[in-house]
Amino acid sequence: MSKPAARGPSNANSKDGEICPVCKSSRYLNKHMKFLINPECYHKMCESCVDRIFSHGPAPCPIAGCKRTLRKVKFREQRFEDLKVEREVDIRRRVAAVFDKTEDDFETLRDYNDYLETVEEITWNLILKIDVEATEKKLRQYEAAQKAERNIQAQTYQPDPSLPSDTAQVVLKKSAAQRRAQGNPTGNTPDPASGAGNGQQTEPGLRFKGLKKYVPPPPEAPFDPFDGWAIEPQYYVTQNDYDVEWLTRAINDPLHIGGGYDMRDFYSWALCDAFSGFGVFVEDGKDVEMADVF
Amino acid sequence: MKLTEDDIYRRSTQYLHWSFTAAQLAAQRLKTNIQAAERVKAAVARQRAARALKTETPNASGSENASQNGANTPLPPPDREVDCLTMAEEKRLVDNFCEKALELGDFLKLPIEVTATGVQFMRRFYLLNSPMTYEPNQISRTAIFIASKAEGHHLPVAHYAASLPKTKPEDILAPEYLITQALRFHYEVRHPFRGLKGGHLEMMAMAAGKATLPPNIPQDRDPRALQQAMLELPRRPGGPASAMSEKELEKRITEAYGFASHILKNAALLTDAYFLYTPSHIWLSAHLLADEPLTLLYLSTKCPPSNPMHAKLLTTLRSCAALLSSHHSFHPASQTEEEKAARDKKDQVELKALMKKLRLCRDPDKTNLVKLNQAQKRDAVENGELEENKRKKRKIAREQYEKEADDFFGPSLSKKENENAS
Repeated sequence: MSKPAARGPSNANSKDGEICPVCKSSRYLNKHMKFLINPECYHKMCESCVDRIFSHGPAPCPIAGCKRTLRKVKFREQRFEDLKVEREVDIRRRVAAVFDKTEDDFETLRDYNDYLETVEEITWNLILKIDVEATEKKLRQYEAAQKAERNIQAQTYQPDPSLPSDTAQVVLKKSAAQRRAQGNPTGNTPDPASGAGNGQQTEPGLRFKGLKKYVPPPPEAPFDPFDGWAIEPQYYVTQNDYDVEWLTRAINDPLHIGGGYDMRDFYSWALCDAFSGFGVFVEDGKDVEMADVF
Repeated sequence: MKLTEDDIYRRSTQYLHWSFTAAQLAAQRLKTNIQAAERVKAAVARQRAARALKTETPNASGSENASQNGANTPLPPPDREVDCLTMAEEKRLVDNFCEKALELGDFLKLPIEVTATGVQFMRRFYLLNSPMTYEPNQISRTAIFIASKAEGHHLPVAHYAASLPKTKPEDILAPEYLITQALRFHYEVRHPFRGLKGGHLEMMAMAAGKATLPPNIPQDRDPRALQQAMLELPRRPGGPASAMSEKELEKRITEAYGFASHILKNAALLTDAYFLYTPSHIWLSAHLLADEPLTLLYLSTKCPPSNPMHAKLLTTLRSCAALLSSHHSFHPASQTEEEKAARDKKDQVELKALMKKLRLCRDPDKTNLVKLNQAQKRDAVENGELEENKRKKRKIAREQYEKEADDFFGPSLSKKENENAS
């Protein structure tokens, strides 16, 4: 399945990639032909075929023998010449997103190496399609456990669509006929397996020896524009209100009130001015250290 | 990481750069005076030498003098040494011009903060420059203009110049950079006005018995007892205890505020108080002059007599009060109107003589500030030959740039058309 080029109808031709296996048009006729693949099944087809078949919604793969449902958005250009490599890279990326521990997270180097070994085993299981279902389950459980531990919105793990698994079936909404053609009558009903997976979230599937406990980073302190400095008056205490005749006009002035001016700002400003320099005696000479600052 | 009010003041430019002990202040003035006198003498000697060279063509030399000196500053007679102003005379003159600047602010109906800042700018400027070098009239106008900008009181220069007699916007702008430099770009002046208001607010709260006293200062009275003590304050220092009603006490505090405010707006600005004392001490001394028993009671809540700072604070306040009351705008009750008039008249005569003396010892290089300012600017066409050279050099450089640009991008189209047409 992962070698569509070898199995495709174009293998009779001398050069792969020169003729579209679906519409059989060749690069000779259309110079700007572009081949796309879908990570569901890694079957190659030309851009115009993708447009033609998938622009009205999800549709089954046109390659004979492949029943996977493909969507147009998932189509992309091939990055590696060998589609095996392409697939392996995809799998590795997904696994690495879940198993993202570094050496610092472990007590000893030995534990870290064991961890890497386990991860590599899981990766190769997926690549070589050995015991896929159990491996996928392990992955999901581990991710759920991680998420529960960190209590953050991590990106959800999506199982490899190129592997046969219970959650990989895509619901088709296009038409009843297509659904029937798909031969997948389960339709819209949620998959019982995934529900079971959710139920198992409390039980961590994988445990690594020597893994340090996750310590969430300390919450960020609120921004302080004064960098911890504050004015602490020595000689006065600002009251909330002062009853002085010449202030009444300012207090009742609609321009002041409307503008949101707080009279307490004025009080503390005036009192700070009244005593800034109260204990400073110019005739003593200046504090040289202070003068150096500026 | 805590700042007290005193720390805030210690970080202000007023404290760091514009506060002096009396000795430092006098030394600085003497230095400025000596330097200015030497410059004046040197400049006059140069002019005399130039004039001696041109004795054959008296007309030419006369016209040159007129153009360099301005109309109202004739050179001293050639046979005498220039009689420069002394340090005390300079200070007297500056004080007088500051007073005139205050009147100018009143005339222009500027807020007192603007005028006060302008006056302080002038005083700071004449700490580093002499009135012999720069004419105080020109400087005061510009100082007030700069102050209006520094205090956020927008005043368009054309409008400002129009409201002054015989003044063009260039006259205002010419010494602007000069003053700014002398101020070392310190535009902030800390005035005692708002501090006085703050103190007044607190005293009123105390009089109502509602004052919140600072917790870290040991208090011997609670707010109620403080109010009672205020009501029993003697009318004058050392007088018998009185028994005022709350209303009377409030009136007394308001009166003291008015009197202190008047001192701050006149005497405090026109003496060296800003250089020698902090704004806090200035308003407290003004209040001390206005109502001594009240101020002392108020001080005792801030700095009780048990505090080691108390004695020093009182000495400082009293010396500041003495400085403020020594100014002629302060007239105590003991002085009669006739005495004051006589003294003012004497002052006028002395000042007139000083002005005359100043006119004879002006620095001839610095009379026309507008011209000096223009000469500093780019493309000034002032000294004939030198400017001609500069212009030629610039023209060559410009042509070279154009040529380089043409080599790269090709010549401009209009130029080509012109060439074709010719």
